[in-house]
Amino acid sequence: MAIDISPFATEMNRGFLQVLVLVLLEKNMYGYAMVKQLEEKGYTLEENTLYPLLRRLEKKGLIKGKWDVSKDRPRKFYVITKDGRTVRSQLLAIWRQQNDILNHLMEETQNV
Amino acid sequence: MSEKLETYLDEIRDYLASSKEKQEIIAEIKSHIMEKTEQEFGEITEGTLEQIIAIYGSPRQVAEKYMDDYQIIAPTFKGYLLRYTAVLFAVHFTLTIVALIFKIRMLVLPFFYIPKMDNFQALFYFPMIFIYDLGLVGIILYYVTQSRKDVRLPWPKLKLNWQKISKSRQAKSKIIPLILMLMGYSALVWIYWRFDTLFFKTIDFQKTQSLLTPVASQWYSLALLALLGIGIIAYAIKFITTSEWVNLLRSALQLVILGIVINRPIDNPFLEFIYFDLQITANITITIIATLIAIDFLKSLIILGKKSLMKKTFP
Repeated sequence: MAIDISPFATEMNRGFLQVLVLVLLEKNMYGYAMVKQLEEKGYTLEENTLYPLLRRLEKKGLIKGKWDVSKDRPRKFYVITKDGRTVRSQLLAIWRQQNDILNHLMEETQNV
Repeated sequence: MSEKLETYLDEIRDYLASSKEKQEIIAEIKSHIMEKTEQEFGEITEGTLEQIIAIYGSPRQVAEKYMDDYQIIAPTFKGYLLRYTAVLFAVHFTLTIVALIFKIRMLVLPFFYIPKMDNFQALFYFPMIFIYDLGLVGIILYYVTQSRKDVRLPWPKLKLNWQKISKSRQAKSKIIPLILMLMGYSALVWIYWRFDTLFFKTIDFQKTQSLLTPVASQWYSLALLALLGIGIIAYAIKFITTSEWVNLLRSALQLVILGIVINRPIDNPFLEFIYFDLQITANITITIIATLIAIDFLKSLIILGKKSLMKKTFP
């Protein structure tokens, strides 16, 4: 019987999506445009997970949201804050370190 | 706005009842669904909106994503919910028994009020106080959780090393319950001998008042004594043998007694009409007891069946 990997993938993606959003929001963007851009890069996400994440990041002051009501339909634009950039660089450092550890371990396992 | 979208957002709003930012959340979801519908279909109609809503997820699922980090009671405090409730209930229960024996009402500030009541009102009061105590502890733990402080809740540490408890102590721990059971049973036999019943309307031993008619008193009291007697004998036999047959025989005999009680009902066993039809309550109680014994009986049968299978497979 094939194992359903979706719960493991969701768990793994939770942290990764956070970093992706902080990288993506270097420029002003709204939710749907973010989803589209991520899809173009080959990253598919459940859309209903993006907005709760944006809300959490906004609450923690890592991103800033602002409604644009100049068009027919209001859109909420988000952009990274100074605190967000600090956190992003630390998270990226952790991510690179984790990658290195994983690569080393994989190499060692293959040599055994 | 589309009727379907409105219904969908209303449902999400209902699930988000506890969230302070629900208007903002709903506005975000609405904006996204409209945007996606227009970009993917070129127009916003009931049909196109319906397709996008279906992809976005069920209202409950969507609302839960916003509440991921919201906890009513923190996992670290959940263990205390039942512990504290047990302690509180024990206090509440004892005070209720005291109030019942002395026929008084009691007010223990700031939380407890125990009214003056008789035995049968008390039977319904006990489950109620348990729920009350559980709720009270739940509210306190809720506020502790919401404070987000590192509170260490008090609980006595019992440093018992169960592995070091010797077999002789285990034997002692079996003898003590047996002695207590025999004492309790003797007390019941004495009460029956003295008052001709085990079912009282009031606990006051100066002016006892039986709940049942003399015939019903004799019938049900002897049945209760027989049920308990069989249980105690089976418990005592386990000192000599650990055979599962003892349990099987015990449950079988108890079921026979209950079967006799159920099959020979006494018309109007109660001396007077109290609050409501107690016959129904009595029948429900007997049925619950019979079900529990029947489960025990089946458990013993399964264990014996397994043992016999093991013997055949690995002789």
